[in-house]
Amino acid sequence: MSKRVLCKFFSHGACLKGEHCEFSHDWKASPNNVCTYYQKGLCTYGSRCRYEHVKASRGHSSASSSSTNAQQSLISDPVPQACSARTQLVGVTPVLGTPRELYASSRPLIPAAKPAWNQEFGHHDPLDDGDIGEPSGNRPADHSICSFAAAGNCPRGEKCPHIHGDLCPTCGKHCLNPFRPEERQEHLKMCEKKQKHLEALKHSQEIECSVCLERVLSKPTTAERKFGLLSECDHPFCISCIRNWRSSSPTSGMDVNSALRACPICRKLSYFVIPSVIWYTTKEEKQEIVDSYKTKLKSIDCKHFDFGNGNCPFGTSCFYKHTVKPGSYTWRHFRPPPRRPRPHRTNFVAMDDSFDVFEPLEGLEDFNAEDLFNEELTSLEMALLLMDMGFDTCDSSSDEEDLYSP
Amino acid sequence: MIDFARVQKELQECSRDIEASGIRVSPKSDNLGCLIGTIPGPIGTPYEGGTFQIDISLPDGYPFEPPKMQFATKVWHPNISSQSGAICLDILKDQWSPALTLKTALLSVQALLSAPEPDDPQDAVVAQQYLRDYQTFIGTARYWTETFAKASSLGVEEKVQKLAEMGFPEALVRSTLEAVGGDENLALEKLCSG
Repeated sequence: MSKRVLCKFFSHGACLKGEHCEFSHDWKASPNNVCTYYQKGLCTYGSRCRYEHVKASRGHSSASSSSTNAQQSLISDPVPQACSARTQLVGVTPVLGTPRELYASSRPLIPAAKPAWNQEFGHHDPLDDGDIGEPSGNRPADHSICSFAAAGNCPRGEKCPHIHGDLCPTCGKHCLNPFRPEERQEHLKMCEKKQKHLEALKHSQEIECSVCLERVLSKPTTAERKFGLLSECDHPFCISCIRNWRSSSPTSGMDVNSALRACPICRKLSYFVIPSVIWYTTKEEKQEIVDSYKTKLKSIDCKHFDFGNGNCPFGTSCFYKHTVKPGSYTWRHFRPPPRRPRPHRTNFVAMDDSFDVFEPLEGLEDFNAEDLFNEELTSLEMALLLMDMGFDTCDSSSDEEDLYSP
Repeated sequence: MIDFARVQKELQECSRDIEASGIRVSPKSDNLGCLIGTIPGPIGTPYEGGTFQIDISLPDGYPFEPPKMQFATKVWHPNISSQSGAICLDILKDQWSPALTLKTALLSVQALLSAPEPDDPQDAVVAQQYLRDYQTFIGTARYWTETFAKASSLGVEEKVQKLAEMGFPEALVRSTLEAVGGDENLALEKLCSG
């Protein structure tokens, strides 16, 4: 899109079009500050005009070409590769391989921040009627494309003095600037991404939770309109249902690992649940969701670890950040503080027991092998270790979703 | 809290393919926590031809806790108590999963009828007979089916006559009665609705 030129309305603080505006709302964009009245010969504001008074003098451009040569080489953009086809169409000398002087003289729209005396033949307004049919006066890459065409339909059609962008295959609008390959690529990328997201969302609308038998994205509250992805299989559930099931107290001899932690449909054991607003169609998409979720958690400090003052039951397989603060227990003693008496969870106790077997010499009942990894590690090292360990010590990682959901 | 929305959905889903599965679930009263399920005896077993009623009561945690199921019709089967009708089936206990529904659970019960597991019995007497004297077991099971599971069909002729007197053609009455499993009221309802 032609987001290059700063929106005049925006710069005065009142653009009604908001983000739909075809002009840039980025303060860094070069402002189109040239007074068109002055260029036509009369500006009633005179020296009080808030726009720059720059003389448009295409007439003697060739004469002064040599004088601007040096400056031109400084500010000239890299010549876009895509431009040759279009330029030939409109009858311009192909830009590629042209001696600088030739198109230096025809350079339009010098950023208005430059002093006026540098812009002898500076801006010529693309709206200027006299220009229809001879855009040859400008370097095409500096033109912004027709915003009407970019939005879908240009009423002026063939007679439009602006360049009509090429058709974007994804969004079906003429919004690809033929002379700005980077912008073009960016648009194509964004468009494809948006399209994918939209399709995924559409597809996700249909997905039903296998527990409540409702469409997940049609649930009454936003908090409920989320899928809970299981790490090991691809059966859809809503986040509340699957968390409910996994955290329900094992009654009548239900086994935590074989029943509760398993997928209700295929009974495959999954160690954690990933919340997502979108249901995936491919493995890569799923991986992306899982990865971004983990990265998000990694940026949050672990409540259990408490900057080295607490003891995280998940040890190194914790998804959250373990930062050791100077002066904390772990900092001073090179190990986490002793654990408080364990709450109800029987599987943890069993795990600790097995670890204690390997640590008889330490004589510390509360010390377990997992915690050894925490010694003298910076948070970065721990993060790396965590990545490596992944889900090895699965028993513990399985619970963290349920213990503190984001 | 029972997820009543889900129970409603299950009932709808179940009534949709009643023809194919033969399994029916209907609420006992206005309260959806108590239901009655009906399964036809599987073909090729001594339970063939019988219609078995199962009392279903949904615990508060449903669907995260298994529904409580019990045969209301007396059955002679190693895994079903001949006294209380209690069912010994893993998916109704520790193998329950919230992805199972009342219909699938009843289907499993139906499958249990055709595939008894005498090594894990609920009724020791029946299991012993099954293992030691299979022929007698078959005979008893068939007799129990005839006696208890076809109780409603015993008076079929009477029902047919009664409905025929209301002005419905006899052949239609007969087929309708058969379709609804011998329930006179249901048959009448169906006949009236066309």
